[in-house]
Amino acid sequence: MFDATFLMWLIPLLPLLASVTIAAVGRRWFPDKCHIPCIAGAVGACMAAILVFVAVAAGDEAPIVTGQNTPWISAGHVTANFSLRADGLSAVMLVMVTFIGSLIAIYSAGYMHGDPGYPRFFAAVSLFLFFMVGLVLANNFVLLYACWEGVGLCSYLLIGFWFAKPSAAAAARKAFLVTRLGDIGLFIGILILWAHSPGHSLEYDDVFRDPRHFHFGGMLFWACLCLFIGAAGKSAQFPLHVWLPDAMEGPSPVSALIHAATMVTAGVYLVARCMPLFGAEPAAQLIVACVGGFTALLAALIAVTQTDLKRVLAYSTLSQLGYMFLALGSGIGEHKLAGLAVTAAIFHLFTHAFFKALLFLGAGSVMHSMGNVIDMREFGGLRKVLPITHWTFLCGALALAGFPLLSGFWSKDEILTTTFEAWQQSAGPVGGLYGLLFFSALFTAGLTAFYTGRAYFKTFWGPEKLPPEAGHHPHDAPPLMAWPLRILAVGALGVGIVLGPFHLFAHFLDATWIKRAFGLLAEEHHANMPLMAASSVIAVVGIGLAYWMYVKQPEVAEQMSRRLATLFELSHAKFYFDELYELAIVKPMTILAHVCRIIDAYLLDGLVDLLGQAPALMGFLVRPVQNGLVQYYALLMTLGLAGFVLSILLR
Amino acid sequence: MGFCESLLILLLALPAVGAIVVACLGQGRALLVRQISLGVTMGGALIALILAIGVAEHPSPAAQTTFHPRFVPGATAASPDKTTWNLIDFNLGRAVKTDKHAPKLGAIQFYVGLDGLNVWLIALTALLMVSSVLISWKAITERVHEFHAWLLLLGCAMIGVFLAFDIILFYVFFELTLIPLFFLIGIWGGPERRYAARKFFIYTLAGSVITFLGLLAIVVVCYQRGGHVLTFSIPELITTFNLLIEQADGIPRERDFYQSFQFWVFLAMMAGFAIKVPLFPVHTWLPLAHVEAPTAGSVLLAGVLLKMGTYGFLRLCLPLAPDASISLGAPIIGTLSVIGIIYGALCAKAQDDIKKLVAYSSVSHLGFCTLGMFALNSTGLTGSLMQMINHGLSTGALFLLVGMIYERYHTRKIADYGGLGAKLKSITFCMVFISLSSVGLPGLNGFVGEALVFFGMFETRKLFAILGTAGIILGAWYLITMLKQVFFGALKEPHHDGPAVEDISVREIAALAPIMALCLLLGVYPQPVLNSVKSDVDVVANILDRRQNLATAQAEALRLSRQAPREK
Repeated sequence: MFDATFLMWLIPLLPLLASVTIAAVGRRWFPDKCHIPCIAGAVGACMAAILVFVAVAAGDEAPIVTGQNTPWISAGHVTANFSLRADGLSAVMLVMVTFIGSLIAIYSAGYMHGDPGYPRFFAAVSLFLFFMVGLVLANNFVLLYACWEGVGLCSYLLIGFWFAKPSAAAAARKAFLVTRLGDIGLFIGILILWAHSPGHSLEYDDVFRDPRHFHFGGMLFWACLCLFIGAAGKSAQFPLHVWLPDAMEGPSPVSALIHAATMVTAGVYLVARCMPLFGAEPAAQLIVACVGGFTALLAALIAVTQTDLKRVLAYSTLSQLGYMFLALGSGIGEHKLAGLAVTAAIFHLFTHAFFKALLFLGAGSVMHSMGNVIDMREFGGLRKVLPITHWTFLCGALALAGFPLLSGFWSKDEILTTTFEAWQQSAGPVGGLYGLLFFSALFTAGLTAFYTGRAYFKTFWGPEKLPPEAGHHPHDAPPLMAWPLRILAVGALGVGIVLGPFHLFAHFLDATWIKRAFGLLAEEHHANMPLMAASSVIAVVGIGLAYWMYVKQPEVAEQMSRRLATLFELSHAKFYFDELYELAIVKPMTILAHVCRIIDAYLLDGLVDLLGQAPALMGFLVRPVQNGLVQYYALLMTLGLAGFVLSILLR
Repeated sequence: MGFCESLLILLLALPAVGAIVVACLGQGRALLVRQISLGVTMGGALIALILAIGVAEHPSPAAQTTFHPRFVPGATAASPDKTTWNLIDFNLGRAVKTDKHAPKLGAIQFYVGLDGLNVWLIALTALLMVSSVLISWKAITERVHEFHAWLLLLGCAMIGVFLAFDIILFYVFFELTLIPLFFLIGIWGGPERRYAARKFFIYTLAGSVITFLGLLAIVVVCYQRGGHVLTFSIPELITTFNLLIEQADGIPRERDFYQSFQFWVFLAMMAGFAIKVPLFPVHTWLPLAHVEAPTAGSVLLAGVLLKMGTYGFLRLCLPLAPDASISLGAPIIGTLSVIGIIYGALCAKAQDDIKKLVAYSSVSHLGFCTLGMFALNSTGLTGSLMQMINHGLSTGALFLLVGMIYERYHTRKIADYGGLGAKLKSITFCMVFISLSSVGLPGLNGFVGEALVFFGMFETRKLFAILGTAGIILGAWYLITMLKQVFFGALKEPHHDGPAVEDISVREIAALAPIMALCLLLGVYPQPVLNSVKSDVDVVANILDRRQNLATAQAEALRLSRQAPREK
């Protein structure tokens, strides 16, 4: 039919070509048409990705692999090839990334219009797409790491896109450094895998072939832990979550693409990819689940009181990513649950990409028409002013809240089911912990519905209020921005009901990836009706509560915040993590650096200078001998001679 | 003499002749001086490129026991990797004697050649020379002819160090580099240039004199014990000495002698090379010399001269004192490297002077280099060699950029700057690019070396590798912070007189662009370089491997022999 391997090369190369074109000649030749190569690259990559997806679905279980013999770095015992791989997991990710990427590129053409950095923006977005699809396509850990850092770079460049703004510059630096801290974990994890994998191979198939290979010395646990540190850094999980909310300093399309839909899910992808390792190591899984569950709860608690619309969404992203990790971490025991876990996590990743990208683009549209104001206290009642934005945002918000039958509902339900199963299937304190996580996840679901409702109602309901920056006639999204919103809204409404009830998504992953990766089919998928009912109720109650508190009885919210002042303050201040890290890590390191500087300048260099004085000192000591008195020399000569003669005589 | 051999001679002679010509031109013809010097260095770069391609196309044969340089001038057809060009022949006048048992006295030879270990360092030197001339175009306005004469002489000496395969020739070139740099710093440097020049000179000389003793000791022992054959050729010394220690393995007394001999020789060599690298506690000459040196001096100092230390370890120390490198070098230098990586990075973070920051970053990055080297396996050694090249490119370029900014604003205080990105767009782009290469972002050159270093070290000493990875984040910390403060945020320009500040000029692009292109190329497609160094790195790795296995076997035998009586 067509050559899938060729298409697999095309997927990363098209965005790369676009990026290089824009960077090389964009500014000079077509400064205000720079979106065209970017969109063309993204759409082309998307088409190729769909074809690859079809090829994977149509093919047998074996992944499509190419480029095993194209070395990138090969020296000593290390071999890293430019080898690409398409299987169920990467195909799903590829389609998602390129589809969302294309829509956001189109949206950006409207959103970024007139910005002096227009060419730079699209060059960076294209470069990002290149690295992101590379990350998904990579078939070995070094290539994965390279793209992993590459997306981090693009994130850095795009967060700091308006670099003249000090807060943007600071946020970019913070994002780069915090994620890099995680990357060290990933790198050490790769070192461990490499040291123990058969033949020092770094290809996925070799590393995953026999996880028990790693079992000596408990190295598997450390390998998983290190990989997870990397994943936590990239996916902004506690305790490395502090960079993501600040990353909202970047343009909104960037927040939608990189910091909601794609890059931040790379950590989930990594753990899912390495599930053969994680699944064999329950201790590591427990950590993954706890960190995920805790982050989900923590971020939801913070989101409840934030007033910056984009930050609410950012914390919501943290929280949803936490859900995904919770799902992954629930894949314990026999491989059956692991299959269920990855399916749930990747399904949620997929649906989340749609509705969260939609919400960010919607927030961007609000910001666009409000003259770059994004504080929810400054505006309100916008549903008449921005009808398109309002309706599409509503679709996204309902999906996020887990409103019955919308996309978020199905995927969240699968996660809850998985955690529930983990609780049921494990015994003792571990089981108890999973039970706790399950209830925490249910509670978080309620919080999610509440804060989503709050953000929606505060923005679009209530009395109409416009900030002075908005001008007199704020206009709704222009077509270039409106169409991506509409398409994503359809996705947010419908993706779940198409793929969810009949487990199409799960069956696809089973057939093309899980069966081969784990040697088993995932557990028979069955809907847990009571659970579905419970989560429906929770979602509706959460939204209803928000409606009551922010539309019907706005003074209730005020009273609540006063009554729970301490809690409110804690949540509003993001539980003081930034301050804590500043005090516990950054400050001591800075002081240590200055101590080193002083040691260097005075102690080490002082010693050297002291040593340099030694010859002078020696000279000073023997100088009296050369006093210029001839008699003195004569005396010394005589004495010397006498001594010499004596020594001969006495011999 | 073939084409490549002639080119090799030309590569060495061209800057020397250029230096003389330029010196003779005298004052007043500054432009001509600069043009000649540019022509000479560009010619050198072209020759180096041709030679590098020559070596890359025909890598050394695998599984050798010693180095086999190529393109050796004065070689005979029978032995293409040896030369007949004697400088000081100790055998003169003895030819009449036909006594078979008479000692065979060799000669100090003009023995130069190329192999995988030195070819890329030479290419790097030749490239950075061009950039150095270009960056000095406007920065140096006084005594221009002298400056360029010293600069070219320095270029000649640096290439000589890497080319030399005669141990005395190596040492002569090694010390010859001091003199031009002494004057470059001492005359055209900053306010404290005299102190810096003196310190640099005496500090490194003090070390390398001891190194010289170590080298001589090897020659003497090989002469006395190796059948009274006097040789100064590095490949032959390696063969002879490794044969000697292998023969001694069975005889405990002999073995002990060689062990303690290697111990002292290693320490002696380490004295000079460690200061040159510079390793952690003996690095304090470096920041001072860097800050005071003119930009061209800093570029060459960081880019090339520091590599002479690591190159010395690789070329001489590891193959000539393998047992000591394993038992003494790996733990000690490994530890010092890890300390250097972290300590250097922390010191860099605390600096308020951009140039000093970059200088300390060298301490940190050279730590990666020695860390990989004392992994003592081919992965680490290759990584180390890559790191030498990469550090030369990235740090060389960083100093170029710092020089450009200094030339515009005449201050290097980080606090004086802010938001330059809005004004100097291209310079900012270059700075971000090079910084990313320096912090080891995959896809750029720095990553390849660093990754191999860590892989290599993880094979032998996991803890060192894991501690060393701290450098990944610390390196990002100081560089990204510097970027933020100087180039991002609100625009803040220091007060400056003179013409309006402009973005990068064509001349400056010419100085930077080749380096940046190589950074990208080496990051994306390093394989040609990795292939061409493989067999020569394996020479060193195999020697070390053999000794390591032997040591393990002996330790095992000793353990068994101790256990045996107990069991009875």
